[in-house]
This record gives sequence, C-alpha cells and structure tokens, in this order.
Amino acid sequence: MRRLEESDAMTVGAPGLARIRSAERAGASPRADDDAASDPVPPPDGRSWTARLAWVLPLPLLLLLALPLVALVWRGLTVGEGLTADRVAALRQALALSAVTSTVSMALIVMAGTPLAWLLARRQFRGSRLIDVLVDLPIVLPPSVAGIALLLAFGRFGLAGQWLDRAGITLGFTTAAVVMAQCFVSAPFYVRAAAGAFARVDRDLEEMAADLGANPWEVMRTITMPLVLPGLLAGLVLAWSRALGEFGATIMFAGNFPGITRTMPLAIYSAYGSGDLETAVLLSIALLVASAVVLAAVRYVGAGRR
Amino acid sequence: MGAMRTASRFAIFTILAFVWLVPGKDAGYAAPGISCAPATPQSTAAAESAAASPVAPGTAGFPAEGGTLTVFAAASLTEAFTDIGDDLEATHPGLDITFNFGGSQTLVTQMTGGAQADVFASANMTQMTAARDAGLIAGDADVFARNHLVIVVPAANPAKIDNAADLAGDGVKLVLALPEVPAGKYAREAICGMGDAAFVDVVASNVVSEEEDVRDVLAKVELGEADAGIVYVTDAKAGGDTVIAIDLPAGAGPVATYPIAAVQGGDVALAEGFIGYVLGPEGQATLAGYGFEPTGA
Repeated sequence: MRRLEESDAMTVGAPGLARIRSAERAGASPRADDDAASDPVPPPDGRSWTARLAWVLPLPLLLLLALPLVALVWRGLTVGEGLTADRVAALRQALALSAVTSTVSMALIVMAGTPLAWLLARRQFRGSRLIDVLVDLPIVLPPSVAGIALLLAFGRFGLAGQWLDRAGITLGFTTAAVVMAQCFVSAPFYVRAAAGAFARVDRDLEEMAADLGANPWEVMRTITMPLVLPGLLAGLVLAWSRALGEFGATIMFAGNFPGITRTMPLAIYSAYGSGDLETAVLLSIALLVASAVVLAAVRYVGAGRR
Repeated sequence: MGAMRTASRFAIFTILAFVWLVPGKDAGYAAPGISCAPATPQSTAAAESAAASPVAPGTAGFPAEGGTLTVFAAASLTEAFTDIGDDLEATHPGLDITFNFGGSQTLVTQMTGGAQADVFASANMTQMTAARDAGLIAGDADVFARNHLVIVVPAANPAKIDNAADLAGDGVKLVLALPEVPAGKYAREAICGMGDAAFVDVVASNVVSEEEDVRDVLAKVELGEADAGIVYVTDAKAGGDTVIAIDLPAGAGPVATYPIAAVQGGDVALAEGFIGYVLGPEGQATLAGYGFEPTGA
C-alpha cells in the first residue's frame, strides 16, 4: 500500500509528491494509519530496493540527455581552427536576426499578452473558455502544423493573405513573417505564466490598498505589478527561448534567406543540408549557450521570487 | 524589489548583446549573389563522362531469396524511383525496397553520419564524388539519366512571367535551392547563361528563399508563395496543373547528370540488381516516362 502510494506520487508529479511528503512528515496520513493497523510495516529492504531501482532506471535517460550535448561541445572544441571569417559572419548574421526578431516578438507578446492574462485570470466573461483553449493549443501543436496553418491564413492565397495581397501587403519571405511565426508558437507560454501569476496575487492586498485610497492605477502599479513581475519574467524567458528555437513554422511560412528569414535554427539546418557540418556545429553551440543563459535567467528569477 | 533589479539587469544584458550583434558596415555578408564561373561546360561534361564507367545493362539479377534494399536517391527521382521500386517488388517476391529521398548533399551528409544505404543515386557528379571521397562508394558510378531545368510559375502566374528575361522583373519573388543542392547549383549556372552580369545581379537580388531540395522549391511555387522557381523538367511534370513550365533560352541550362552506385558496407548483390534494372531497358523506360532523358542503355 505504501509502495503504491509512492509510485502514485511519481506519476502525479512534484506538487503531489510534496503534498504526500508533508503528510508523511506530519504523520497525519489517515491511510497510513489504517495500513499500520492491518498490515505490518513494509521491511526496510523493500524500500531500499525501490530506491536502488529509482537510481538505475533513469541512467539511460540521463545518458541520452547528456551525451549529445557533450558531443556537441566536444566537436565544437575541435572546430576551433575552422573558425573562418565566413563562418563568423554567418553566425553573427543569423544570431542578429534571431535576436532582433525574438525581441520584437517578445515586445508584441508582452503588450498584448499581459492584459489578456489579466483578463483570463480575473474576469469570467463570455468566451473566456474558448480563449483559454485558443491560448493553450499552440503549446501542443507541432510546429509543422503551425507552418501549414499560417500559410493557409496569411499565405498569398490564404484566407486573410489574399486580401492583404490585394492591398499590396505580402507577408511571405519577409522578416515580419518570422515574427508572426515566433509569436504564434511562443505567446501561449507567456500568457499561461502571466495568467498564473495574476491568479496567485492575494486579492486582499489589492482591496486593502483600495480601501486606503489608492486608485485602480496605483493599485496596479504599487501592489499587483511588483507581485506578478517575477511570474511575468519567468514566462517571458520561456517564451523567448521558444521563439529563439522556432523552426518549422518559419521555414514553411517565411522561407529561408540569409539576413531576412534565416534565423539560427534555419541557419543550422541550411548548413547541415549544405554538407557544412562545422558551421552547423558552431551555430548549434552558440544557440546552446544562449539557451543556457535563458535557463540560468529563469532559475535566477525563480529564486528571486522566494 | 529584487524582481525590478533583475528585470533591469536583464535589459542591460540584452542591450549589450545587441551592440555586439548589430553588424558593422564591414561585416561583408550582404545577401548572397550568384557568382558565375568562367564557362567551361565542355570540360565538366568531359570529366563527368570520364568518371562514369561504360554501362553493362540488365545483366545482374536479384538474388533469388530477395532481401531488404535501401536506396538513397535525389529528391527529383521521387516518383520515377518509387515506380521502379513497385515494379521490382511486384516481380521479385521477397524483395523489399525502402527509399530515402532528399537533396543529394543531405543524403551524403546522412551517409557520412552513419546512415547505411545499399544504393546512392545523386542528381549531380559533385555529390557522387563527395560520397566517393568520404569512402562511401563501392565500385564505379554509372550515369543512368539526364535532366533539364525549367522555370516554373504558379498556375495563376501572379508576376506575369512568360520567359527567362522576366525573372529580372521588379519585385519578382524567385525561389532556388541552396547553392550546394544540385538543383540550386544547376539553376545558378542556368541564370549565368541567361544574360550579362547586370542581369545576373538583378535576378540574384530577386531570390527570396533558398530551399533544402528541389521539391521544396516546387512546393513554394505550387502554393503560390513564390512567383517563380527553377526546377527540373521532371519536377514541373510532377507538379501537374498547379504550375506552368517555361523553357529556358536555348543553351542556357546545364544538363543535369544522374550517377548511381553501390554503397560501401551495403548489400552488394541487391545493389547491383537494382542498378542493373535502372540501367536496363525497363528502368530506362520508366525514367523516360517521367521526363528524364535516358542514357541510351
């Protein structure tokens, strides 16, 4: 019975595990008491067998996660002498395009996503369920589906694209299309995190401030915003990393041209497809470092919240 | 207010990163143009025919017990080879043929990376030589087909392109394969053959996307996203009614040469059986049916 409970906790995930752990510590789990009455306490070696299994089983997974990264860095160390001016230029061009497009995407996402997250967290309105689903869908949607969908909507013969084309606006093969693809796939990550942050704010604090004479804007600025900011930042870096890595929708919808639409992931794919593995390795390491920085930032912001 | 401080530090870091990234004027990576090599088509053609051994058609058969054959083939061969594979499987019980179609250069990268094929069919001699240099090829390469380039435009022809000269039109969205892809290499040679340096520069500036293989070029044109693309005659045929093919000016297009060879470490008997069939009358007839120029075996 106890063992079953533990494996349950594993599938439930960390929050469930924490709940069960704290219950164990308090010694107040009614189920455990019932078991103790009818069943003998499981022998300690049964428990350590479980623990040993928990150490052995993840090893292949850990190897799978670690080896490719080690190989990438290892290969990168030997690429050193292959660091030609051409490769550095290609790297900077792709990195600059990725940095600019992802920053523009983040600015747009923050502007539109923050109020949306606030609405989703605080207001029950007609269609809020629908918007919830709409915001969640791109998270589970494969990027190639996003690419086809964007083409059908904004391509030259697409649902909205044909009207835009008639108005003289073509999105295909432009940097704007890259930003659209990035926003499509990454906005949900920000909106989800931001909505969660707004929902966690203690409403009593806001009401107290209002009672003390603060107008809604002052409440927002002095109480709500400082409380949700770490959550917004965490969501932002997640969305940012997702936008940086955007590949499928970009190559299908925006095309692949250096300096215009060839962001880092596309540059890696093009270098690989051109048989230039060394450039692909160099670009991959640059992106790996950028992702590590983002991850560190998430941890840092997360730590600041506590 | 630790969060505020974090946010400002993050902003400062971002700005610093941008200062490094935003390229100076001397960065020297303007959009890639098309550099035309001094034209020596004769010499490359001679090298290609020299590299190809004389064809001994249709002599090798498949081992009676059959087996599993893996063929890595250029994207432009998709329909023709699939058809050939179906024919062979129908007439040889126990034979199972798997195809991996892609840009020839990608196939070489995959094989270099350890993907095991039995047969490699490339869309140009350059990638076959690259495979040989990497120690991937067993025996000699045989040229089994030739192909020609055409301009394709969407059926609606939004940019009103009627001939090669129109590719230099203002704002034409032209899609090519990457320069390392055989179709991209041939297309750039073709553009070089269409006009003077000024013409080539204008056409190069009209390129809006560089694709991984020739079928991706065709897809962008079929969708109508691109105004024009340069693909093989056979791709235009595969595109059916969705595209219009426009011939290149006489003498402008290089002739694409397709070599095929057995792969080192693969099943040699099966590979030779397949290569023999492709070079034989039936295989050549199927290829001709898809618009390829048979090598006359």
